[in-house]
Amino acid sequence: MSATQSAGERELAELIVTALNLEGVAPADIDPEAPLFKTGLGLDSIDALELALEISKRYGFQLRSDDENNVRIFSSLRSLAAHIEQHRVTPAH
Amino acid sequence: MTLRVAIEGVSFWASRLPGWDIAQAVIRGEQAPPEAPSARPAPTLLAPTERRRAPDTVAVALEVAGRACEASGRKPSDLPSVFASTHGDTAISDYMCATLAGTPTLISPIKFHNSVHNAAAGYWSIGTGSLAPYTAISASQYTFAAGLLEAATQVVCEHRPVLYVVFDIESKGPLATVAASRGLFGAALVLAPPAQQQRTLILTTETVSSLDPTVARSAAAPLVADNAMAPCLPLFEVLAYSSPRTVRMCLSRSTALNVQVN
Amino acid sequence: MQSRPLRITAYTLCSAAGDGRAATLAALRERRSGLTRNDFGPTPIATWIGRVAGLEQQPLPEQFAEWDCRNNRLAWRGLLADGFIQAAEAARDRYGADRVAVVVGTSTSSIGASEEAYTRLDADGRYPADLRRPIIHTPHSLGDFVQQVLGLTGVSVTVATACSSSAKVFAQAERLIRTGIADAAVVGGVDSLCGSVLFGFNSLELVSAEPCRPFDVERKGINLGEAAGFALLEKQAVRGPWLLGYGESNDAHHMSTPHPEGLGARLALTDALRRAELQPSHIDYINLHGTASQKNDEVEAKVVADMFPASTFASSTKGWMGHTLGAAGIVEAAISLLALDHQLLPGTLNAQTLDPACGPQIQRENAERKIRCALSFSFGFGGSNCVLVFGADR
Repeated sequence: MSATQSAGERELAELIVTALNLEGVAPADIDPEAPLFKTGLGLDSIDALELALEISKRYGFQLRSDDENNVRIFSSLRSLAAHIEQHRVTPAH
Repeated sequence: MTLRVAIEGVSFWASRLPGWDIAQAVIRGEQAPPEAPSARPAPTLLAPTERRRAPDTVAVALEVAGRACEASGRKPSDLPSVFASTHGDTAISDYMCATLAGTPTLISPIKFHNSVHNAAAGYWSIGTGSLAPYTAISASQYTFAAGLLEAATQVVCEHRPVLYVVFDIESKGPLATVAASRGLFGAALVLAPPAQQQRTLILTTETVSSLDPTVARSAAAPLVADNAMAPCLPLFEVLAYSSPRTVRMCLSRSTALNVQVN
Repeated sequence: MQSRPLRITAYTLCSAAGDGRAATLAALRERRSGLTRNDFGPTPIATWIGRVAGLEQQPLPEQFAEWDCRNNRLAWRGLLADGFIQAAEAARDRYGADRVAVVVGTSTSSIGASEEAYTRLDADGRYPADLRRPIIHTPHSLGDFVQQVLGLTGVSVTVATACSSSAKVFAQAERLIRTGIADAAVVGGVDSLCGSVLFGFNSLELVSAEPCRPFDVERKGINLGEAAGFALLEKQAVRGPWLLGYGESNDAHHMSTPHPEGLGARLALTDALRRAELQPSHIDYINLHGTASQKNDEVEAKVVADMFPASTFASSTKGWMGHTLGAAGIVEAAISLLALDHQLLPGTLNAQTLDPACGPQIQRENAERKIRCALSFSFGFGGSNCVLVFGADR
């Protein structure tokens, strides 16, 4: 699978870096297939809540914290971006 | 009632007095303050996850707390602490009130968890791994004196050193019209049981019919005057010199806290 | 300097469970929860709350108009109960107005007034005239108000360490009295419902959509409540239950999650027992923090199971009035004192099936027996912990 970001992945990477104030992380450098939580970017459960909030504001749909697929959805930038593409209410540019 | 404590460490941070060395020099008239304001201190003590979440209150509080500990030679994790702020994190209060007025379900979890008055104390304890107790207090314009009294009381009661940290930040938004404060400011002291060869403070309280606190007079005064924690400056002006002086502070509407600095 | 036991010569509380001691005791005895469906604010989230009724219709007396806001109205209700104001004034007259300290706790103080102001800004973006009163827009709103009402003139401090605030005030007051700065102290705390806490805890997904069930295996989170409580500590008194000791510590772990082994809680507990010169086996009753959050209850259950004999009766009373945050310390201290004074040990209301993490100590049902020593646990956001030790009037 490709390690370069799609446009949607790039946009999400920028949202993550801004929302979580990830100092010293360039959005373009986030490996789309690397873990987001614990290792990789090392995000924690509060970050997940913050991200869910920002995603709902930007893309107009609620990420449910009791969704049994969350581990998969949040596992990487790629999987999260794909989930957003499927569910977004606000149109892509 | 008299409380006697030694001062083991002092620190200070304002955007044009970014450190106790500079502040002392300006207070003593030995140098002019830098023209350019410094950016907020970087909370290097914190792990990356906490560091990126740290608001200005935490940044300045941890800076001065760390510097005071360094100056004292004490390990931060050994020290109980008293954190004091007049208005707390007014930037977050402004954010909370504005968001609640518009889109209450969109409150940022990170900002909310930073909104507690003990956030700076909490981050400090996490960053230093200190299990020693902290408290976080406020007493409006009497905050500095009240917190100093509490820190000194803890030293005397527990016969151990205590870290005292104060801070206030720039108020933003409509809240600024009722909780005024400008600029970013913090200062800290490490107080300890009295020992030889150390500067001491002797604190006494006094019921007065009219308050007549010591006024800050040095070149540092205008740089801190608009910050809500400005009432602390007269003590630091005395600490910048080696000669003994007594500073009078307001502890309540009719109580003075006299601090004899030896 | 060893800490010294102090008599508590007056105490009171006001919460959704009832106004004053008698009403609270009746609610505890009769297992009547004060929790109701959330109806607070224009767009209430789906949860249950411990709301104190009538505050909207009860502005402060005219001479205190400057301090008027929900939090101070609730403080006033608390001070009026059980003759507390009279008791504090008697202490003032006995020791001197400058010799009675005020040390009170809160988490959000009167931020509700600031929240309201932002919904009614004038054309210039400033606060409306009726809310342009600086004292209610700063954390010390509570401490200043209490000092004014009681005509006291010495030390007055507001402590804001989240959920441990109005427990830590007991420790702070003991030190002020021990060092001779004060001869007596009014301690306590007040927190009121406001958008900040309802929507804030909701954003952290810590709030339950149902009535809270502390220590229940199916618990789904906290319910928020509001309350006021006060106690009078005196240096020279011949009657009243005792503050025997206290312990304070931090978790140094995470801002909103407790230490997984309850390290800070164990330290505070050990320190409290040492100060009171007691062993765990001397403790008859523990009022637990028991918020009904997943993590708190899990950690706290283990601490209790590890550190106390099976015979210790432990419970959380948050099913009666919710988690009153900065007032939880004083409310639960007062309930511990009621247990000592009235031989009533409240169980854990709303718990149906206890979590397997609970040891034999945690009880669902009430009991009635004479007890001599009680503990109250308060574990706060930001990792601040406080354990208080109370003894029967002897």
